[in-house]
Amino acid sequence: MSSAVDPSLHAAASNLAVQTSAKPIAGAVELEPGVPSDVDLMLGIQSGDAEALSELYDRYNGVVKALILRIIHDETGADDLLQEVFMEIWNQAKNFSAQKGKPLGWMVTLTRRRAIDALRKRQAYARAEGRLQAEPEQQPLAWVQNVTENAIRARDTRVLMAKVINSLPEAQQRVIELAFFQGMSQREIASNTNIPLGTVKTRLELGLKKIYDGLRELKDEL
Amino acid sequence: MSFEEFQNCARLYVIGALEPKELQEFEAARKQYGSAAEDFINECHSLHEAFALSLKPAKASTAIKDRLMSMVGERNKNQSGSDPT
Repeated sequence: MSSAVDPSLHAAASNLAVQTSAKPIAGAVELEPGVPSDVDLMLGIQSGDAEALSELYDRYNGVVKALILRIIHDETGADDLLQEVFMEIWNQAKNFSAQKGKPLGWMVTLTRRRAIDALRKRQAYARAEGRLQAEPEQQPLAWVQNVTENAIRARDTRVLMAKVINSLPEAQQRVIELAFFQGMSQREIASNTNIPLGTVKTRLELGLKKIYDGLRELKDEL
Repeated sequence: MSFEEFQNCARLYVIGALEPKELQEFEAARKQYGSAAEDFINECHSLHEAFALSLKPAKASTAIKDRLMSMVGERNKNQSGSDPT
């Protein structure tokens, strides 16, 4: 377990696995009976129902903005991108298929791609201006810092996810952070961190496998 | 490529971390393993949700939603205006 992680988070996470009985792992939002599911909302958006988009926005704008912020680190830019992402959800909804995955997974894929594109454009601009300092140097272990906030509450789905992610060795968290939140290739990570390419690959593979297995275990537990 | 190796690659694939050469090998294995491969790749997308949900939700400006819904309304109006039916 990483020493950079708030012990209270781990305690909360450990308790949570016992306390919760039917909370979905990756279902994101627990819904009252009769409330449309995420898939219902996506079907509504596909048929041009603006109210469905409004509801989906209310449900997930916080998660989507957090992901954007985590990638681009700019509050104003994140708001603009948030609007663009939901507009893209509206425009691209016809490409969503419930057979291929959950709406949130689809939205996260779309959000991440847009945010990484924006980040790369900014980096290219900054390089041209000669002002860029490498992002990994500016934000060392920022992901770890993010999930160690004292404000995290025990019953939050976030704690479950943090439990899985924080169980990784710091070195594995770091390479996954660079790959997922910075959109770096293995070679870029190796170059930016001075870690051999083979080590980067191994850390990525091991880290992702542990997260994947951890999520499956949590699903089984619940 | 064994199925276990394919699984390792699939987790990298869904976050876009495969190198070009690995991607070629992965796509070949993907064809070889057929529906089992597709099912596994779909499962791997849960990794995306996990990363997003591990973050503390961020508060967005209320003006964003107003702008968004206004744009959607405009678009709907334009589409129904140009719809010959």
